[in-house]
Amino acid sequence: MLFAHGFGCDQSMWRGVWPRFAARHRIVLFDHVGAGGSDLSAYDVERYSELQGYAEDVLEICRELELSDVVFVGHSVAAMIGVLAAAKDPELFGALVLVSPSARYIDDGGYVGGFSREDIDSLLESMDGNYLGWSAQMAPAIMGNAERPELGEELTNSFCRTDPEIARHFARVTFLSDNRADLPEVSTPSLVLQCREDAIAPESVGRFVADRLPDARLVILDAVGHCPNLSAPEETGTAIAEFLSG
Amino acid sequence: MSTPGVPPEQSAEELFEEAPCGYLTTTPDGTILRVNRTFERWLGVRRGDVVGRRRFVDLLAPGSRIYHETHYAPLLRLQGEASEIALDFKRENGPPLPVLVNSIAVGEGEGAAIRTTVFDASERRRYERELLAARREEHEIARRLQESMLTGVLPEAPGLAIAATYRPAVRGLQVGGDWYDAFWLGEGHLGLVVGDVVGRGIEAAATMGQLRSATRALASTGLRPAALLEALDAFADRHRVGVMATLVFADLDLTDRTLSFACAGHPPPVLARGDDPPEFLWGGRSMPINAQGGGHRERTEADCDLRVGGLFLLYTDGLVEHRGSDLDEGMQKLLGAVGRRRDEVPGTLTERLVRDLEVEEHRDDVCTLVLALGRSG
Repeated sequence: MLFAHGFGCDQSMWRGVWPRFAARHRIVLFDHVGAGGSDLSAYDVERYSELQGYAEDVLEICRELELSDVVFVGHSVAAMIGVLAAAKDPELFGALVLVSPSARYIDDGGYVGGFSREDIDSLLESMDGNYLGWSAQMAPAIMGNAERPELGEELTNSFCRTDPEIARHFARVTFLSDNRADLPEVSTPSLVLQCREDAIAPESVGRFVADRLPDARLVILDAVGHCPNLSAPEETGTAIAEFLSG
Repeated sequence: MSTPGVPPEQSAEELFEEAPCGYLTTTPDGTILRVNRTFERWLGVRRGDVVGRRRFVDLLAPGSRIYHETHYAPLLRLQGEASEIALDFKRENGPPLPVLVNSIAVGEGEGAAIRTTVFDASERRRYERELLAARREEHEIARRLQESMLTGVLPEAPGLAIAATYRPAVRGLQVGGDWYDAFWLGEGHLGLVVGDVVGRGIEAAATMGQLRSATRALASTGLRPAALLEALDAFADRHRVGVMATLVFADLDLTDRTLSFACAGHPPPVLARGDDPPEFLWGGRSMPINAQGGGHRERTEADCDLRVGGLFLLYTDGLVEHRGSDLDEGMQKLLGAVGRRRDEVPGTLTERLVRDLEVEEHRDDVCTLVLALGRSG
């Protein structure tokens, strides 16, 4: 099983989910280039100007580790990264699990993505506002979490090492992407996990993804928010396990 | 709402309701449990409309909504608190309210909740925006300054082809102080320079401009390469600029195709002649400019015969220095790439060298200058 994190976080997002699968699967966790503990010098603006660049990375990981029959679990934008990877090299993948996916964040004609172009611009602005504080202020606060030092470690990796320019670029690529036309190209059996209330990917978006994928099952989770892997890891894990056994 | 008989300053209720910050509590999934009067006033909402009905994230402007879901909520889950997060609240009447929020998760199970205080950050946000804009402007000025000094016309002559590339650092970082130059020295002599000053930003670009002009001016007096470096040391020392800058100066005599060059702490030039494999020219080496402060430094120079069909390459360290791999490897890669591409037109050759050496992934500036004899264009 290959777990891919979404925008804003790193692989620690899966910490409550992957352990239950470790007995039956080989678990592969990674940080996208530019996030978490990845080698920032490997970041290439050109390559990562489209989600396809991230999908190529996924395929490279699969080949390098000689993985086969891969269960790809992708959260948020990584769900679409998995869609692109599976469309390009279907032989590698046994199943796709798409957690809180969206094929297009911006409204377009009759399609409701949930956001306007102006909304995305205001996101980029709020990131500017926050990274001013992140760099110097957050690090000591996070490191100083004495009762649960492992959290400090995770967050230092996750947030403080994120380069503001890379984060901006990733945000732009993520939220301006349009992968609606890629969905029908996926032959891999897929599970779409949709939260009850998701401020980023509303239910109609999850239904759209499940409808357009040729072989997909939609499960609506009782969890609210955009990160059920973090807020409801039990429920998320159970839904994935049921899909894999069924 | 104050308690009868208790002065306002001793009433917890009053302190909560009229605190000089917005105060709200929510369930772990963000459903609003309670808000204070300051919060109601700032946002233009009534508690009856939000308590139990809306989630925290519903009150945010769209951009902040995404930020909340991708950063803030995960952070709270992972470490139980989050502080100084910049968000924008929607307001019933008027533009969004920029705020800084602190949150802490309390209690467990049924009693679990999140307490959040909200501080008006309108002024701070304006100021931060100005700072950010100023930083971007400075970066842009430095970039334009550097580019404006690197866009002159290169010398042309029959049987001579010169091309150069300047590639600024890929992202984020400030521009560096790399430069290239090529100019006529009169009577069939051509001056070629590639250099690199220490530092980044406007200061580095300005230093580069001074050294570049000084090199040009000194070269025009007919100084040989080693003597030119000595004069440049004196210039750098006297005017306190360009300490530890590195450069190669080469003087090509087109009548007999001999090349004299001197290298001040700079990566060695590459020479490719006839069918010989490309090689580094390790002659004529000495310290960087004005190294170790004033004093006299011994400068040396070397000569080589370029021959018709020969290729001479100058470059800055960004071309061969790759984070995470060693310098030797980068230099061997450069020789290999020059060997494969030596017959290409200099204009495309420089571009392709940059590509072959995966400079795309570099965080440093890269400058290259190629001269080919026996070819035009």
